Amino acid sequence: MLSWLDANALSMLNGVALAAVLFLIAVGLSLVFGTMDVLNLAHGAVSLTGAYIGVAFLERDTTIPLFVTAVLAAAAFGMVAGVVLAAMTSSVGDHLRQALLTLGVALIAGDVLREIFGADVESVSAPASLAGAVSVFGRPYPLYRLVIIGISAAIAVVLYIVLERTRVGALVRATVADRAMVEAIGVRTNLVLGGVFGAGAALAAIGGLLAAPILGAQPGLDDTVLLLALVVVVVGGLGSLRGALVGALLVGQVQTLGVALASEYASFLLFAAMAIVLLTRPRGLLPAKTGAHG
Amino acid sequence: MSVSSVPFRRRPRRLVPVTIGAASILLLAACGGGSISEGNGGEESEGPVKIGLSVPLSGVYAALGEDMTQGFELYLDENDGQLGGRDIEVVKADEGESPQTGVPATSKLVTQNDVSAVVGIVNSATALGLKDTFVQSEVPLIIANAGADELTDDASPYIWRTSFTNGQVGAALGAAVAEELGDKEVFLMAADYAAGHESVDGFRETFTEAGGSIAGEAFTPFGTTSDWQPFLSKVRSSGAGAVYVFYAGAEAVNFVKQYDSFGIGDSAQLYGAGFLTEGGVLEAQGAAAEGVRTSLHYSHLLDTDRNAEFVEAYQAAYDEVPTVYAVQAYDAAAALDLALEDAESTDGAGIADALANVGDIDSPRGTWSFDEDHNPDQPYYLREVQKADGGLANVVLEELTQ
Repeated sequence: MLSWLDANALSMLNGVALAAVLFLIAVGLSLVFGTMDVLNLAHGAVSLTGAYIGVAFLERDTTIPLFVTAVLAAAAFGMVAGVVLAAMTSSVGDHLRQALLTLGVALIAGDVLREIFGADVESVSAPASLAGAVSVFGRPYPLYRLVIIGISAAIAVVLYIVLERTRVGALVRATVADRAMVEAIGVRTNLVLGGVFGAGAALAAIGGLLAAPILGAQPGLDDTVLLLALVVVVVGGLGSLRGALVGALLVGQVQTLGVALASEYASFLLFAAMAIVLLTRPRGLLPAKTGAHG
Repeated sequence: MSVSSVPFRRRPRRLVPVTIGAASILLLAACGGGSISEGNGGEESEGPVKIGLSVPLSGVYAALGEDMTQGFELYLDENDGQLGGRDIEVVKADEGESPQTGVPATSKLVTQNDVSAVVGIVNSATALGLKDTFVQSEVPLIIANAGADELTDDASPYIWRTSFTNGQVGAALGAAVAEELGDKEVFLMAADYAAGHESVDGFRETFTEAGGSIAGEAFTPFGTTSDWQPFLSKVRSSGAGAVYVFYAGAEAVNFVKQYDSFGIGDSAQLYGAGFLTEGGVLEAQGAAAEGVRTSLHYSHLLDTDRNAEFVEAYQAAYDEVPTVYAVQAYDAAAALDLALEDAESTDGAGIADALANVGDIDSPRGTWSFDEDHNPDQPYYLREVQKADGGLANVVLEELTQ
C-alpha cells in the first residue's frame, strides 16, 4: 500500500493541478447554463483567447507583475466577451439555436485567432521565479502547477462566498429561482444575467491563460478545452459551484491517476467515467438544488 | 405528397436507359477528344505543363504547407519557372487538415484541372485516400511529406515519395542509440496512431538488433493527451536510461516542455524522430528542447556546399531558414525537373515512366535516389538541439550509418 502510494502520489497531486484548471474553465460554463439556461459553445474559444492573450503579453522573460497584468487583461476581455455573448443569446430561447449561434461565434473566433497568431503552436512561459521544480514526495514537481492549485482554490473560495454569503449572490440565486419576482422588486435581471455570463467568461479566459504554460496555445485547443469542460459539467451536475468542483476533481484524477494505472485504456477512461456517472446519477454528482433545471 | 410522387417516379425510370445511352455517347466523345489531343503531342508540349501543388493552406498543418509551397516555388524560381526545359503552370489546392478536405481538393486537380502530376500531401490518411485515384487515372503523385509506411507497400508506378517513411526515420537512430547507451535501457513512447507505431517499430527493430534492450513502452492517446505526467512517471519508475519518442506539432511542444519540467531529462536522454524539434515547434519549446537528440534527413545547419547555397537562396527569398518540409517539396520539384527532361510525353504516364529513371538527385539534404519502392534512399543525420545563430537549432552531430 505504501509503495503504491509512493508510486502514484505524484499522479494524484497532478490530477489536482489539472482539476484546478478545469474547474476555472468549467465553472463559468456550468453557472451560465444553470442561471441563464444558455449552452455556451463559445466557452472554449473564450478560454483559448485567454491563452493567446498570454502569448501576446508574455513572449519572453515573464515576470510576475507582467503575468498578473496578462491575467487582468484576460479577465477584462472575458468579461466583455461574456456580456456580448449574453446580449446575443438573450433573444434566442431555444437550446438548439443557442448552440448553433454560439458554435458559429466559436468558429469565427477560432479563425480570427488563427489569422492573428498563425497556425503554429505558441508557447507561454511561466513567470521565471515559478518556472523551476520543487521536490514533492522526493521527486521533482513543477512549482508552477502548485501555484495554479493555489490560485484556483482561492478563486473557488471567493466564488463560494460571493454566491452564498453576499447580496449579489442572493440576487443571482433569486434570479435563477424566480426571475419575475426579482423584476417585480425593481431589479433589472438582464444585468444580473449579463454579469454572471461576463464573470463566467472571465474565469474561462483566466483558466485558459493559466493553463497556457502547460498546454500551449494553438488552433484546436478551444475544442479540446470545451469538450473537457462539458464533461466536467455533465459529471458534476449543471449549475452548481460544488458540482463543477467535484466534476473537475474527478476528471482530473481520471486523466492522471486513471491513465497512470491503466494507460492502455487511456483514450476511453474519461468517457467511461462519464458514462458510469450518467448511468448511476443522471443529473450529475452534485446538481444545483435550485435553478432553471433544478 | 407521397401519393402524388408515385406517378412521377415512374417516368425517370423509363428515362434511365436513355440517360445511360446519352451519357455513354458523351463519354465516348470525351475519350475521342482525349485521344485526338494526345495525337497532337507536338502541339501539346508547346503549352505549359500543369503541375498540381496540394498542401495544407489552412488548418493545423498550414505552417507545413507554407514551407512546402516556398520550397517548391524556390526551385521553380531558380529555374526560370521551368522544369526539364518546359514551362510549368502550378495549380494549387488546399489539402486542409484531414482526408475530408484533402481528398476531394486533390482529386479535383486530376479530374477537373487535368494536371500531369501532383506534388504535396502532408497527411498520411489523405495520401492513403488518394492513392487509388492517382493509380487509376495514371497521374503520378509525388508525396512530399506524408510518411505512412503502407503508402508505398505495393509500389505503384504512380506513387512516389521525396520525404521519408516513419519507419525509416526511427530505424536510422536504433544502432547509434544502442551503442551510446551500453547496458542502459530505453523507454519507448509515441502518440497512439499509425505514424507513432511505425516510428517506434522502426526504432525498436534496429535498436534491439544492435543489442539494446527496452525498459517499457507507452502509447498516448493521439490528439487528446495534454498532460504527460502519468506517462513520465512510468518512465521514471522503469529506470530507463533514455527515451525514444515520436511526437509532432502541438504534442511535440507540450511533451518536450513537460519532459523538461518534471526533470526526467536529468536521468534519461531524450531521443526522437526529427519532427519532435523541427521548424516552428522548436521555437515554442524554447530552452526545454536543449540537448534533445533526433534523427532526420535534413537540418539547415548541414555543412555542405549544396546546402549552404540552398539555405542562402531560401533566406534571401523568404527571410527564414528552411525546414525539412521545404526541402522535401524542393526535391519533389527537382525530381520532376529531371523526369521532364527525359519524358517522352508530358502526360501522367510519360512523367511516371521518366521518374523511374531519374537516378541520383543532388539535394540540400545530400545525394539521394528513389529506391525500388519509390521511397527516398537517403542519408539520415543525428542532430542535437543546441544554441546556434542566437537561437536554438538542430546541430548535426554525425551521419547515421544504416
